[in-house]
Amino acid sequence: MNQPIDRRNFLSFASAGIGSVALTSLLMRDGTLQAAAVPSEANDPPPHHPPRASKVIHITLTGGLSQVDSFDHKPDLEKLHGKPLGGDERPDVFFGKVGLLRKSDWAFKQRGESGLWVSDLFKNLAGVADELTVIKSMYAETSNHTPATFQENTGFRLNGFPVLGSWMSYGLGSETDDLPAYVVIPDTRGLPAGGSINWTNGFLPAQHQGVTFRSQGVAIDDLFPARAIPPNTETATRDLLAALNKQHLARRDSSDVLAARIRSYELAAKMQLAVPEVTNLDTETKATHAMYGLDNEETVEFGRGCLLARRLLERGVRFVQLFAGGAFGSPRINWDGHEDMRRNHGREAGRIDLPIAGLIRDLRSRGLLDETLLLFTSEFGRTPFTQSNAGQLGTGRDHNQYGFSVWLAGAGLRHGMSYGETDSVGMKAIENRVHWNDLHATVLHLLGIDHQRLTFYHNGIQRRLTNVHGDVIKDVLT
Amino acid sequence: MLARITGCVALITTLCLCVAVNSDDAGQEAKRNRESKTFDDTIALLLSRRCLDCHNATDKKGGLDLSSKAAMLKGGDSGAALTPGRLGDSLLWERITDGDMPPKAPLAADEKRLLSAWITSGAKWGTDPIDRFRVTTSNRAGYDWWSLKPLRRPEIPDATSNGPDDWQQNPIDAFVLAKLRKQKLTPSASADKRTLIRRLSFDLVGLPPTPEDIDAFLADKSPGAYERLVDRLLASPHYGERWARHWLDIVRFGESQGFERDKLRPNSWRYRDWVTAAFNDDLPYDEFARRQLAGDVLNPDDPSAAIATGFLVAGPYDEVGQSQQSAAMRAVVRQDELEDVVSVVGQTFLGLTINCARCHDHKFDPVLQSEYYQLTAALGGVRHGERNIGSAATSAASSNFASALQARIDSLNRQNAQLEEAARKQLLAEQRGKPRPKVTVPEPIARWTFDGNLNDAIGKLHGTSHGKAKVKAGRLHTDGKSGYVTTVPIDRDISSRTLEAWVKLDSLDQRGGGVVSLQTLDGSVFDAIVFGEQTPRRWLPGSSGFQRTQQFGGTDETTANNGVVHVAIVYRANGTITGYRNGRPYGKSYKSNGPVTFKKGQAQLLFGLRHMPPGGNRFLAAEIDKVHLYDRALTPAQIAASAGVSYDSIDTESLLAKLRPVAKQLREQRLFEIARLESQRIRAQATRSYAVVPRTPEPAFLLKRGNPVLKGRVVTPGGVAAVVGVDADFALAADSPDADRRIALARWLSDRKNPLFARVIVNRLWHYHFGIGLVETPSDFGFNGARPTHPLLIDHLAGELIRSDWSLKALQRAIVLSATYRQASRSNSDAEKIDAGNRLLWQKSPVRLEAEVLRDTILTVAGELNPALAGPGYEDFTTFSRNSQFYQPVDAIGQSFHRRSLYRTWVRSGRNRFLDVFDCPDPSTKTPRRAVTTTPLQALALLNNSFVLRMADRLADRLQREAGDDPKQQVERAYVLAYGRSATPDERRLTTRFVKQHGLPAFCRVIFNSNEFLHVD
Repeated sequence: MNQPIDRRNFLSFASAGIGSVALTSLLMRDGTLQAAAVPSEANDPPPHHPPRASKVIHITLTGGLSQVDSFDHKPDLEKLHGKPLGGDERPDVFFGKVGLLRKSDWAFKQRGESGLWVSDLFKNLAGVADELTVIKSMYAETSNHTPATFQENTGFRLNGFPVLGSWMSYGLGSETDDLPAYVVIPDTRGLPAGGSINWTNGFLPAQHQGVTFRSQGVAIDDLFPARAIPPNTETATRDLLAALNKQHLARRDSSDVLAARIRSYELAAKMQLAVPEVTNLDTETKATHAMYGLDNEETVEFGRGCLLARRLLERGVRFVQLFAGGAFGSPRINWDGHEDMRRNHGREAGRIDLPIAGLIRDLRSRGLLDETLLLFTSEFGRTPFTQSNAGQLGTGRDHNQYGFSVWLAGAGLRHGMSYGETDSVGMKAIENRVHWNDLHATVLHLLGIDHQRLTFYHNGIQRRLTNVHGDVIKDVLT
Repeated sequence: MLARITGCVALITTLCLCVAVNSDDAGQEAKRNRESKTFDDTIALLLSRRCLDCHNATDKKGGLDLSSKAAMLKGGDSGAALTPGRLGDSLLWERITDGDMPPKAPLAADEKRLLSAWITSGAKWGTDPIDRFRVTTSNRAGYDWWSLKPLRRPEIPDATSNGPDDWQQNPIDAFVLAKLRKQKLTPSASADKRTLIRRLSFDLVGLPPTPEDIDAFLADKSPGAYERLVDRLLASPHYGERWARHWLDIVRFGESQGFERDKLRPNSWRYRDWVTAAFNDDLPYDEFARRQLAGDVLNPDDPSAAIATGFLVAGPYDEVGQSQQSAAMRAVVRQDELEDVVSVVGQTFLGLTINCARCHDHKFDPVLQSEYYQLTAALGGVRHGERNIGSAATSAASSNFASALQARIDSLNRQNAQLEEAARKQLLAEQRGKPRPKVTVPEPIARWTFDGNLNDAIGKLHGTSHGKAKVKAGRLHTDGKSGYVTTVPIDRDISSRTLEAWVKLDSLDQRGGGVVSLQTLDGSVFDAIVFGEQTPRRWLPGSSGFQRTQQFGGTDETTANNGVVHVAIVYRANGTITGYRNGRPYGKSYKSNGPVTFKKGQAQLLFGLRHMPPGGNRFLAAEIDKVHLYDRALTPAQIAASAGVSYDSIDTESLLAKLRPVAKQLREQRLFEIARLESQRIRAQATRSYAVVPRTPEPAFLLKRGNPVLKGRVVTPGGVAAVVGVDADFALAADSPDADRRIALARWLSDRKNPLFARVIVNRLWHYHFGIGLVETPSDFGFNGARPTHPLLIDHLAGELIRSDWSLKALQRAIVLSATYRQASRSNSDAEKIDAGNRLLWQKSPVRLEAEVLRDTILTVAGELNPALAGPGYEDFTTFSRNSQFYQPVDAIGQSFHRRSLYRTWVRSGRNRFLDVFDCPDPSTKTPRRAVTTTPLQALALLNNSFVLRMADRLADRLQREAGDDPKQQVERAYVLAYGRSATPDERRLTTRFVKQHGLPAFCRVIFNSNEFLHVD
């Protein structure tokens, strides 16, 4: 049983394109097929210091999560409900409407042993509050969705820069060669505005672009022939191709490029085995399904994504990005609660709250949380006042770039704590303010990367994820 | 190091001489001049090299600025730095002798001697402040940087002694050989003719040579055969297509806005065609550059001259950011936009990353922050937009495109009609047997025929006109800007209902206007017949907050601008909403959460407006011929009768049920192609181009730390002083008009005395011919960029380019005629030990086909390439709008999608997966050099992608057609088509056996995946 599988046989097995999951997973578990690692491409390869985490799950909430309804508890806002925002300065908000202050639509409570404040918007996440490290003092440079999302992912407001996942793929490589290093799982309801711009490699080489996985149906494009091809033909095709390429190479003495291309076909065959295996969620227990909410209509879509994310990490994928929310506009399929916060955030949180809590518990129980970094971010927050005419109390909130919350969980972090403060109503970050560059620097730091040393030359500059800024937030680290 | 010390010794000598002449009693003036010059030549350079990178006027480490006398005397945080004449009291000297400063590399003894002599002798100053950019330091470039030096006319090295014979003719070879010899390397022999024609063909036109081309070239044994081949390829219209793609990479050309909305730029293809034509016409490069910067203002009488300025605005545009409420944030967006423009100008034409000086002086190159803002001033009038380019220059071509597209549309429609004919006849025959109920159309509750007034011909629902709505020749004309009609309130409750109208639209491009709307009097609740709102060219059941709106999924409207069409929407009591066009169902009906009951006296009808209040995109530009309102849901038969068409119940669904799956699929493919062609046809006819639409420039300020709030002094338009030889001062006032600014900029950049301008372009040409430039970083000739491997060759080529009046073709001809270019691709382990990267050019490095060339080559070899030149790009995606524009890539099948990849519509968010995996760059990124990766995703794409499999089938058909049934002949033909050679006996044996066992398509798939197919020697 444990006889090593001859590569040639393996390839011909693989090339038949059989989704023989049982056998495959057996092979995987046996370790008979040990996937090789893909090395870093960085010119100053990490680790620059001992890493605390080796992989990342980034949950990206598009549209703008309201901090004052979720993680940033503001008793003053309760008192000032229905009152105008004090002070002389009229806030410069996206739609220009400054209505009356509105208290959270969800009750805040202190949770767990840590006593971290989490509102009832995230009842399930509240149950794992002791795992979270909340940063309440984020600020962004713009309150315009797309540039803000670019900055959240790339550090820059503009199109054309590589995203966090691409930098990670470039800097750390992958622990496996049969799955991509950077996988993106979009919201099943639709892609975020800008589509693939959100997982672009920018100026990094193409293999660092995010590869989208569907959590249902055929996981990735072109994995198998677009039309059925008989298995024996498929095998013979690979053999003929290999033979012709070998002769071609022989006529040229040697060439790394040509040899690499021959090797890439072997890797492709491995992917044909690995992808169906990792995306087959049926092999998970009923209890696991329930933990991720796969037994519930409201949570099944995001739950499948979360479970797939865990399986990808287990098999050596470096960075998984899960989008919670699609494009902007009406009807809303993201967190952009301009009209009615209760309806909007209630619906959106209902989709993801339980699956994420399940993911954290599952990672913890499997011992994976110690090597995994979880990020939960949104491009900006929302205003503590409603988006309505002056003197009116509305039900929706506008974009807020001046102060908002994100959280991290996993390795190397002080858990069950919050860092930084906004003002008394949760409008502006005032204490220990954190810019995206700082957060990115911290993420890289946890992965053993000095953010000033992970660079790529492009048109005159050794580019960094953190531009020329960024300070690691030491206070949240253990 | 030795040179530096020697230099310093010489300087000390000069200084001592200076001290010596102090005793001379010649005029004080002359003395001061000498002292000043001595300072400039010695101390100023020393300070620049060793101190000023950290202690200058803008970057004052420890508060200390050493670049001017006053600042040095004033000192920094620790007090005055200098006491002239007293070495012991000078902090500057103390820190140096302590070894603290400069931190990493202390001053050498001779440098210290020089400095102490200067301080002791009274620290006489020269030019004040010191221009620290005069010298290159270990941290950054100065004016003496290699690429900024004036062009030389280098002597051609002697290649006659022990150089190969064919390396004697072309000066290029002499320069290359000289470098090779220094490393004791020998060049490779010339490649054979088969290799050469394949190489040339891909390089110059981006397509493989045909078997006939190869045969002709092999047969031509006369002298000059190669030269003639080169000339033929340079004259091919495909040459421009190939080289335009390179240029579009450099200038970050995309055909949608990017950012959140990512709207299509339907007319930016005109810039792409302009670039293609410029290459084909060999437009002199300096003129090529000037027109892209200022074509419109240089040729104010020619509206089409604006097309070239598409260069400046080919990057993304933040529509949402530009229209947000906050003026402060809008200012940031505008500055981001200017940075995009400055960066593309600087990098493209100068190889200078001027954009790095937005927040501070350039860290690595001699570019001041103020110079960055001088350039934003020079480009301050540049705004994105659509520009009318007049019909004169474009109408003939446009109507040619349009009629070619229309011909294809007609042919596809005919093919579909044929395909449906049998099923249609069968359905009608089935119906004929059944009795057909007589249809009577119920009387509407109101009817407007617009016969000279707005009156209801049945009841009392009379209308009132607003804005520029008027009745003319039996129709209501609404202008799409202000005109609409309201009726008096309706005198009964309305629940289930039918809205019906006959209308001719002014344009199919309008988005969101309402033909007829039933609304509450304040407009807060409405249901309306709306055109083009969520999806362009589609009829939509508009409703308040889209609460009852779904897409019908009908076809794009194509005729309503030419004549009246009948449109109706039926709202049933159970919430079902059904659309009709010309009496036939429009797409599919669906269930909504309606219908809303509009209460008696509280609702009214609107014509020409989606809902109240009037404004925005709610207006319709149209002629409305007739409107009916029914208080009941009409049946399909009644609608048909009302529209005056025969009611046969051959709806699409029953038709599809009769078709075989293959036929259904084919029909769908054609419908998709028709829809895309329609879109292109409309784009072809627009006499607009995405280009610079200038506005009066706003005053330009030096912005501290790049922050629009921190305004410094006003700056005037200008260039960069480091580009010596051309005056960076444009002599323009701060309020000078846009035209003067861009003309001045264009002249400054393209001046033949500007050494960067010529050096950068010759290196780009070299880069695309050899896979790597003489400077590895084609858009960065600065300190961070790569150093030139052959600096003299660059200057030689630059000089040749200028002397040929900037003819790119002439220079390329010289390059490809060189023996250097004609070398074989052969590995050589000895040479690899010395120069693994082949930077000295001891062979011709093989290259992998770029994404587009790969796709074009697959199409060509399969015999499927559609060679149509120019015009709007093909659209291999569906579009849908959800606030933002979305592009869903589709597997587009049909001849019109088989054009060269250059003609893809390059939207930013709808990238083509197949091209992407082969390193096709993000259109938002300036890509002077593409990455070349090898990944398993490439293998999967080439093995499995439906396009490749389909083309394998087509190639199989072609082989069958051209080589008959004998597998041996088929294989031979395949080898000639794909590789330009015959199969070896061994290959023939292997492949023939495979063809017999697995068929031709499987073999063709192997061909497309083979290394020999993907690589060019």
